[in-house]
Formats: sequence, C-alpha cells, structure tokens
Amino acid sequence: MVKRITFSVQKGESFGLLGPNGAGKSTTISMICGLLPFDAGEIEVAGKSVKKDPMSTKKKIGVVPQDIALYPTMSAKDNLVFWGKMYGLTSAQANKRAAEVLEYVGLKDRAKEKIETFSGGMKRRINIGAALMHKPELLIMDEPTVGIDPQSRNHILETVKKLNQEGMTVIYTSHYMEEVEYLCERIGIVDHGQMIALGTKQELCNRLAGGTVISLQLNEIESEFITFVKELSFVEQVVSKDNTIEIFVTHTNLAIGEIVGKAVTSGLQVQAVHVQEPNLESLFLQLTGRSLRD
Amino acid sequence: MKSFTIAWKDLHIRLKDRKGFLMMILMPLILTAILGTALSGVMGGEEKLPLTIVGVVVQDQDELATTFVDDVLKSKDMQEFIKVRTVPSEKKAKDWLKKEKIDAGVVIPVKWSGHLKDGQLKDLTLLTDPGKSLQASIVESITTSFTDKVVTMAVSSKVVMEQLASSTPVLTGKLDMRKAAAEIAGQLQEQMKAATNSVSETPIGKRSVSSSQYYAAAMAAMFLLYNITTGAKSLLNERATETLARLLSTPTGRMQIVFGKFLGTFYFAVIQFTIFTLTTHFAFQVDWGKNLMQVAVIGLVYSFTVAGLSMLIAALIREEKTADVIGGIGIQIFAILGGSMLPLSVFPDLMQKAANITPNKWVLTSFIDIMSGTTWNTLLLPVTVLLTIGIISLSIGTVKFKLR
Repeated sequence: MVKRITFSVQKGESFGLLGPNGAGKSTTISMICGLLPFDAGEIEVAGKSVKKDPMSTKKKIGVVPQDIALYPTMSAKDNLVFWGKMYGLTSAQANKRAAEVLEYVGLKDRAKEKIETFSGGMKRRINIGAALMHKPELLIMDEPTVGIDPQSRNHILETVKKLNQEGMTVIYTSHYMEEVEYLCERIGIVDHGQMIALGTKQELCNRLAGGTVISLQLNEIESEFITFVKELSFVEQVVSKDNTIEIFVTHTNLAIGEIVGKAVTSGLQVQAVHVQEPNLESLFLQLTGRSLRD
Repeated sequence: MKSFTIAWKDLHIRLKDRKGFLMMILMPLILTAILGTALSGVMGGEEKLPLTIVGVVVQDQDELATTFVDDVLKSKDMQEFIKVRTVPSEKKAKDWLKKEKIDAGVVIPVKWSGHLKDGQLKDLTLLTDPGKSLQASIVESITTSFTDKVVTMAVSSKVVMEQLASSTPVLTGKLDMRKAAAEIAGQLQEQMKAATNSVSETPIGKRSVSSSQYYAAAMAAMFLLYNITTGAKSLLNERATETLARLLSTPTGRMQIVFGKFLGTFYFAVIQFTIFTLTTHFAFQVDWGKNLMQVAVIGLVYSFTVAGLSMLIAALIREEKTADVIGGIGIQIFAILGGSMLPLSVFPDLMQKAANITPNKWVLTSFIDIMSGTTWNTLLLPVTVLLTIGIISLSIGTVKFKLR
C-alpha cells in the first residue's frame, strides 16, 4: 500500500525512486502504468488522467518490469515485434523498429536466437528493448538490473543514460543508491509506502545533519559506550545494529580519535572503522534507521 | 486486431513446442493406428476377404449352371474376391488344386437342374485344399447360399402355380394361366439374381463403422480435450511470468487479451484436428464419411468448445500444476465416460446417460453418424450442445479470470 505520494517529473527529466525492497516503488509504478487501481488522488501522464483515459496514457509509456516478461521460446526479434504490435505498430513498422532496437541494445547478432538461450543480462536488455519499441515519451524502469553481471549492468545504465540524453523522460526505481545517483537528476526516497525525501542529490545530501558517517565495528556494544558517543558535541545521531555503530558526525578527524580512543579504553575490540562521505545511503539511514539493502 | 496478434503468437509458440507436438499430434495418430488395428477383429473392420481362384467344371450346358457361373460367381460383387477359371474335368480340377493353380473347385453335375421342378437339386461337388480353409468356406458359403435360394424359389413357385391353377379367375378364364406363370417366373428369376451374396461390415453398437473409424473419431475427441489444459496453462503461465501484466501495461483491453488467448487455443485445436483427420484419412485410409462439410463443422464447433472450456478452467484455478492434474485425471475420466476408450454401447444405461455431460461424447457420436451417413438435422442437437458449453465457459472464464 502507498499513501500520500506526490511528485512530478518534467519532460526529458530522469527521476529516481529509491527505497528498500517492499517500500512501495513497484506499487507506485504499477499505478502510473494503470495496472493497479488507486482509491484517492490523481495520476497524469502528459496531461492525461490515468484513471479516466488509461489507453491514451499507456500509449505514451514504455514499461520495463522487474521480471523478465518475455516469451522464452520465441526469438529476440519475434518478442520485440510482438510487443511492438501490442503497442499498435503495424507488422512492417514493428519489424523495422525491432532491428533498430536490437542494434540499440547491442544484440543485433542474436536476433534470431530464442530468449531461453540468453544470459540474464541479455534477457534484461531485450526486456528493456521491448519497452522501447513504440518510442515512448516516458520510460518507466522497475529495478532493471536485478540479478545480472556487472558488464550487463553497465550496458543497461549506459543505455538508459543515452535514452535520457536523447530526450526520453525516465522514471527509474532501484534499491541501488549508486545507480540512482548516476542516472537521476531528481530522486524520491520511498519507505513504508510514503515519500520520505524528494529533491536533487545535492538537496538531499544537504539535508544530512552531520554529513559524514563513521561506521564502527566492535566485538560487542555496551550501552555505556553508546551514551558516551551520543553526548559528544560533534555527534548528530547514532544508529546501532548488531555489533556495528553508525555515527553521524560534523568533524570527522576529531570524532575518529575521540570515539576509537574511548572504545579502546573501555576494553572493547575495534574490528573495523569505515568513514563514509555524505550520500543517499546515509540520508536513508538517518531518516529511517535502516540501510537501503535491509 | 490485437486479439489476433496474441492468438497468432500463442499458435506460433505451441507449434514450435516439440513436446506438445508429440503429445497433441503424434500421440493420437499412434493410438489410432494401434487401437484400430488391434481391435479390428473384436469390433469388425474393413479387412478384405482373400482373393479366391475357383475352378469350375461345367459338364453340360445346363441353364442353372450358366446362371450360377455368370450371374453369381462372375458377378460384380464377387469380382473383388472371386476369380473363376473354367476347368475341363473333375480330374483336371483335382490336379490344379494340388498344383495350387486354383484355391477351390466346384464340379457342377450333369443336368444339375433336372429335377428342380420337383424342388430337388443334384449335389455340387466341392473340391477344397485343407491348407486353405478360409477360401474353402467362402466358396462353400456362396454355393450353399445359391442352391438354398434356388430350391426355395422352386418350391415356392411350384406351390404358387398349383394354387393359381386351382384359383377361380383361371378356372373361369378371366386370367391367362400361361401369362401369369411367365410373370411369376420372371419375378422369381429377378429376385434370385438380386439376392446375391454380399460382404457387410460388423456393426458397432447400432452403427456400421470399422474399428479404425471408431478410434480415429474417439482419439480426435479425446486429444482435442487436452487443449482445455494447455489453453488454461498458457493463460496461467502469462500471469505467473508477468507477461500478462506487461500486456496489460500496453494499450490493450482486458477483453482483447482474454479473447486472444481463447482464439490461440481455438486455432491450435483446429490445426490439430485438421492434421489428424487428413493423416488418418490418407495414411490409415480412415473413411470420415461422405460429407466433409459436416466433419469440418463438427471439428470447428468442438474446437470452439474446448477453447471455451480452457478459459473456464483458467478462471477457476490459480496454479499451472492444478491444470496438469485436471489434464491427467479429468480428461481421462471424460475420455472413458465419453466413449473414447471403449464404445458407449458396452456401458450400462446409467453410464450412457452420464456420458451426455462430456463434450467428447457428443462429438464422437456426431463423427460416427457422419461416417455412417447422416443429415444436418441429426447434427443439430450435438452442435447446439457443444456451442452452448463453449459459449457459457468462455463467458464465465472471461468474467471470472483474475488478471493479477
């Protein structure tokens, strides 16, 4: 369930929806695509209401689902032609466009091979290609890089970047912060069905009180030690989980010396210290007390 | 239009599925061949009688002997399995039989019909080869049948003539005895010529079809039923693999999608039926009847029914595995109850009545009717029943199927 999610995406913009699994990203997307009904509010795509004129809005959207929604025993080209026709292309238009899309996703040489013979990354690329067949105004991608090798992931990210640079509006959902940071101009962070932060990457990072996060891994965590850390003047927030403490600080060098020194004198074993510069991951951590990958 | 695209895509996928092809196309053909051949002796069949060369010894120019040889043994009906060779003597006939130049011999005695007016006929001598008992019994059957008829007619005509001679119209001169006798004799002769031996097939139940014909119809009826599960699975699979959600994200209506899936199953069933009937006809010489239009109409209507039922099953179940169970058990029950395994006539009355709930029973009886020769009026009821099942199933399936 999602509630009170409000955002707008400008033509040609690349917008990211970031959030952990189960946050409500896919639900939001399904409602935009007209797959799920919504009982309140309004969704418009290119000025048309999704509720009142779903067929018109669907023509403008290309959806890349999280799963590989293709026919495995059909060839890559036949799949693309089929999906093109479902978006209203004629047979000739679909065949022509399929050749262009295959070139675009780098699988021209594998056009006649069955999808079931493809690697996970190649399937993902055709999965994207199917959404590009009708040259949509808005491309919606729901975690398109889940479970693939780094090479294919890079190829997909570059493809999306290129499409956006060519003028296509993109809504990209992921729980990989670095993908959203790389691709998107504006980002909405979703958790438990609600939008908890919205803005450009810089705007979001500026919201971080105590921009740097010191991550301290200890053999055990004592409440006395946590109380000590919280009372330090340069510490803004402390989040502990298992044997790790995440500490949001304003003065990094000063904080490291003070905190690690106290841990040692308290008889705790410091197993690792990690310093993380301000980013969306730390913002999410600060806002929710949880990691994006939790 | 998009429904046709979806249907064409489904057909394309199914035709390229080797396992499905084996199951839906080859298996019924193999079973038809096996069952049709194995049960031809039990259920009758179209196997032909062996060609029998009969050596005939005619010792004088007896009129009855000439009739027997020319109008019976050499008749058109007998040509298929009897070949006559004239043998000069009984001794020669025995010799030819020994040398296997003939399969059996018939020696017609001198003045064979000499005492026919008294209702008596001299015995024929039948020469047979102990190693060719079937041919011997064929020849014996023909000769006995002929002589019995001749004697019966001779006795009948004698009685009729005696009655006629003593009747009032003849005695008072109102009826010409000679003319009446000639007319009666002519009619009897016609009867004798017409009532020659013929080969008839053993009926199955009330109809006269061979085992190959029966099992061709039965297997077509049974294996088209499998389209119910394959069609239902196809729709459930689209839902499970998210292609259905993707279809719904395109500007394609729910009705178009469901109708496209229905149409895909219908297309495949029609193709399956067409391949099956053509192959059984040309490869196994199965006679599907004289009216091919009736065969085509029943095939199309049945394909519509199974495609409709596939939508109903898809709406009633959620898992593909459940469809497999229905395919494994449900269709077998339908097949047995509907007469696809054994002829309906061997079942008790109650089961024969229960068979009416199975669509395959209606299509099987329709095919058997067509094979035996039937009218469009006779087919009206099964067509109506099958169409009703199809329309109701499709309607419920379309309304009830959950897209997500």
